Amino acid sequence: MGASDPILEVRSVSKTFDRVVRALDNVNMMVRRNEIVSVVGENGAGKSTLMKILVGVYQPDSGEMYHMGRRVPFPKNPLDALSRGISIVYQERGVIPHLKVYQFLFLGLEEKFTRLGRLQLGKIIGLAKSVFEELGLKCDLASSMYELPLSTQKMVEIARAILSVRLMVGMDGGSEIPPVIILDEPTAPLSLEERDELFNYLLNLKKSNSFIFVSHIIPEVMKFSDRIYVLRDGKVVAHHDLSSEKITEDQIFREIVGRESYYDLWARYVYAVGAVEGRRIVLSVRNLTKKGYFENISFDLHEGECVGLFGPAGCGKSEIAKALYGEIAADTGKILVDGKEVKLKSEPYARVKLGIGYFSGETGKELFLFWPIRKNVSIVNFEKVTKKPLKIISVISFNAERSLADKIMKKLRIRAPSVETECYSLSGGNKQKVSVGKWLEKSPKILILEDPTIGIDVGAREEIYEVLLEMKKNGIAMVLVSDDPKEYAILCDKVISIRDGVIQAVYTNEEFRRLMEL
Amino acid sequence: MAQAWFSREWLQRNISTIIPISGFIVLVIALRMANPYFLATWDSVITLVYGMSWFLIAACGLTLVILMGSFDFSVPSVLKLSAMIFAVLYPSIGFSSIIVATVVGLIFGFINGILLARFNIPSFMATLATSMVAEGLAQVISGGYTRMITDPAFRAISTTMILGLPSIFYWAIAIWAICIFLTFMTPFGRMVYAVGSNIVGARLAGINVRMVRMLVFMICSLFASIAGILYASQIQGAHMQVGVLDMIPLFASVVVGGTALTGGMGGVHRTLLGVLIIRWLDSGLSMLAIDLNVRMIIFGAIAITMAILTIDRRRIRIMK
Amino acid sequence: MKSGLEGLRIGSVIATSIWRLVKANPAVWAIIALVAIFSALVPDKFLSTGNLVALLKNFAVTSMLAIGPTFVILLGSIDVSYMGIWMFGGALVWLLYPYLGLASIMIYPIFGLLVGLFNGVIHVKAKVPSFILTIAVTAVFAFLTTYVRNISGVLTLTVPAYNFLRESPVPYIPSPFLLALPVIVLALFIMFFTKLGTYFCAIGSNEEGAKLAGINVEKYKILAFTLSGLLTGLGSIAIFVHLGCQTRVDFDPSELVRGLAAIVLGGTPLAGGMGGPHRTLLGALVYVLIFNGLFLLPGVDPNHLKLYIGTLLLGAVVAASRALKGALIA
Repeated sequence: MGASDPILEVRSVSKTFDRVVRALDNVNMMVRRNEIVSVVGENGAGKSTLMKILVGVYQPDSGEMYHMGRRVPFPKNPLDALSRGISIVYQERGVIPHLKVYQFLFLGLEEKFTRLGRLQLGKIIGLAKSVFEELGLKCDLASSMYELPLSTQKMVEIARAILSVRLMVGMDGGSEIPPVIILDEPTAPLSLEERDELFNYLLNLKKSNSFIFVSHIIPEVMKFSDRIYVLRDGKVVAHHDLSSEKITEDQIFREIVGRESYYDLWARYVYAVGAVEGRRIVLSVRNLTKKGYFENISFDLHEGECVGLFGPAGCGKSEIAKALYGEIAADTGKILVDGKEVKLKSEPYARVKLGIGYFSGETGKELFLFWPIRKNVSIVNFEKVTKKPLKIISVISFNAERSLADKIMKKLRIRAPSVETECYSLSGGNKQKVSVGKWLEKSPKILILEDPTIGIDVGAREEIYEVLLEMKKNGIAMVLVSDDPKEYAILCDKVISIRDGVIQAVYTNEEFRRLMEL
Repeated sequence: MAQAWFSREWLQRNISTIIPISGFIVLVIALRMANPYFLATWDSVITLVYGMSWFLIAACGLTLVILMGSFDFSVPSVLKLSAMIFAVLYPSIGFSSIIVATVVGLIFGFINGILLARFNIPSFMATLATSMVAEGLAQVISGGYTRMITDPAFRAISTTMILGLPSIFYWAIAIWAICIFLTFMTPFGRMVYAVGSNIVGARLAGINVRMVRMLVFMICSLFASIAGILYASQIQGAHMQVGVLDMIPLFASVVVGGTALTGGMGGVHRTLLGVLIIRWLDSGLSMLAIDLNVRMIIFGAIAITMAILTIDRRRIRIMK
Repeated sequence: MKSGLEGLRIGSVIATSIWRLVKANPAVWAIIALVAIFSALVPDKFLSTGNLVALLKNFAVTSMLAIGPTFVILLGSIDVSYMGIWMFGGALVWLLYPYLGLASIMIYPIFGLLVGLFNGVIHVKAKVPSFILTIAVTAVFAFLTTYVRNISGVLTLTVPAYNFLRESPVPYIPSPFLLALPVIVLALFIMFFTKLGTYFCAIGSNEEGAKLAGINVEKYKILAFTLSGLLTGLGSIAIFVHLGCQTRVDFDPSELVRGLAAIVLGGTPLAGGMGGPHRTLLGALVYVLIFNGLFLLPGVDPNHLKLYIGTLLLGAVVAASRALKGALIA
């Protein structure tokens, strides 16, 4: 076996869910010794499905797997995958905060250290110490996981992944089966320094392990990988060997995003530049800071203007949006709505009173799924559906509710049998419409949009964009946070680029389009 | 509709309505068969009404808390405490003791609310603690003695006959009706259902979750107080026998009516049926001379079964 | 040589853990403070031999109620079925004695195990919330006990044949305490020397993560409940002897919180993830010290007992709430 022969290879992997969704289409990928291979792509491109197939959580519909040059069946479960040296570090919820480091390190593998029902603590700790020395990890074995900084936690997780492989294959030291560790978005919650620490750790580990790096964050991927696979709509659209090719970030970005179908859509929504200046300022943000997430964010928002907070995953844009709405609290800074100051620690209900609304595409979170459309619409619009017969108590008028819901259903072309239809039975796009519909009616001064069209099809997306644009015309200001640059191009008058929690640049709609080559 | 009428899904969705209604019908038939005098005389009706009314008031309060997705163990204890305060203070300050008893109830509700909303203590634990405190206070105030009040004005609140039924009945129905109005016709009621259905969504929709929780707990304790005061009036005194034990039939009547533990589903309207079922069952069983302890076990079993059947498993991913 | 090093390693880890326990655990400070206060206020009563023996007895009883459920609390669930196991187990001993003789005491751990198993299976498979389930179970068995007494025609359910257990072979150490010791040792062994302690904490700390790490969460949850029942059953033997070889026949709901109080006072958070029987023992000691000392003080009315328990529980729960941050709890 030559040093550059692949240790792990998959060919022609395809996977379809429910006979409709083609998650993977003829994917080829391989990993060699001592290298870092990255897999990049949008949400839904198929990265996570591919990884789950590699660790045995899913079974592919077709394809072949080769391990150390020999054809092998795909792993049937994670334990099976471990015996091939494949293990995974999940993006979130992988750490068990209250366990001590040495407990977490060997979680699930205690059989190897049990004699007559008794755990051999000494052996465990001894092995842990030697592994940490080998990997260059410095931390107190007896401290609890939550006491460690986030980057150290990740490093311990990675050490655990490597250890699991070694223990599974039955040796403690040199290896014949090289570990292939899959890292799913490991850096998303980490700060800049912490990421550097992590990467140095990985570069050190590369000497005897290989890594598959799944990520959104292109600059990092470019810096640390040996090779990159770009997935889009389940297919490998590009493969770059960074040692021999010169390639730019923008190129990768475009490969991820693709170009087709949306071209017509935003070509229609071209902006008259300068239409926004001169209107009154509805939102003023000054030096908004939250330690560890974002710093010194300042911008002004005019009536009817949409500003986009744009950046890679983990840059802080979501947190800024949440801090504006009150879901989380910023530490310092000022938020002013029409000149009135918003208390940083106030809850969402206070912000709604001041005129801020929040719409998230994650309808499971925001909608009351078991309620009918009528109730979901009225929950933020009580003023419009209540009467005060005795001046002290508001009474809901069901007729008013029904007609309100009716009006919205017609306006947004929500396809459902009636206003009494319960929302869980609606399709994704229609759910989104109910959710945005209530805000359309509420007409807040400012609407915060987080991933407004996540997970819905093109047709429904278009309809939502139309609604949002109409709201803009009616003077509602918006703040957009999304992972889809096309969305920013369609909706935003200006785009603020954010990286590592800090504003990098501000673009007009035109400049942004040019930048994204849209 | 392609679905058969009695399909499994239909059954699952409507089980919280089918069981109470069919259970009630079966119960009435069984009781009539066992004792042909059941409900045959107006007197027997009155007896049943006396047994049900105070109970209904307390159950309405508890229903609101459960609708919101929380739990309140302190209802019977606050009931007992209020009854005791009323009975103990009445000889000295007359009907002003009602005010004292009510205020105490509100305070307990307030404490429950704070423990949950401010200190993040799970509601069953918080209310278990406050129920102990209430029990303790009742014990201290009573000095271990049962109080009897002979003054006819004391009795009058609950036992004045209007149109053949005691006044406590009208109190109970009035409160029940007010609750129905509150939960179905007011924004506040919607908010209670919202918090119970999807607390994250409720917060994001601009509902002041903290305030809703505080208010609901206070209303529940208030109703418990009122129930206690009316009960004391009904039995012309107060004793230490009512208490945490009554939690079981109380809870049973809420779930048997079809209100789910998970919150957001069911309602006060159903609790009337639940109370009817539980109290009549209790009546019937004691007519058959079944030991109190066995009756409690039966109610417990019924409550658990109904709770299991109505829990909305679609919404809960991790059950503790 | 190797085992010596191994011994040193284990020793150092245990020593660090104990030191952390002492530093971090308010219960230890509470114990020291309580002992100091009561010794200062009523030294002749508090420090008398009789009182210290009573302390040991009460400690045995309280810890036996709390030590089993601790493992369930680690999961983040609740188990209050200890009262039912203790009460009805005793009724079963009384019922079975005419047939099985002295061997009938063994029904205690068997019954406890079965109840725990039942709790675990129903909770995991039927997804019933643990607090409702275990409260119902405990109520059912408590009522059954009273019912048995009612229909049997006797006033108490005593089995005099076990009276020999009441005499302790060790001077000054009461026999309930001696009977409790093996249970304590067993619980500590399970917690620290098997992987179970780690697994229970893992499930309580991050259930999803535990699943991802390959732990069979369902199996270990059921195991925790079963273990809780078993330990409670075993521990109930000590209580049985303490009460004079009989079981309690009246259901006093305020006794229900005793076990929970000891666990909370010990510093094991109700949300689970950390803590354990070692903490519960401390909590039991705090509980026992408070009530022992309190009633030695002049002018304290026994009628107020419930109030004190309630306030204590309230205070403990609020103090413990510092561990639960942020999450929206129902």
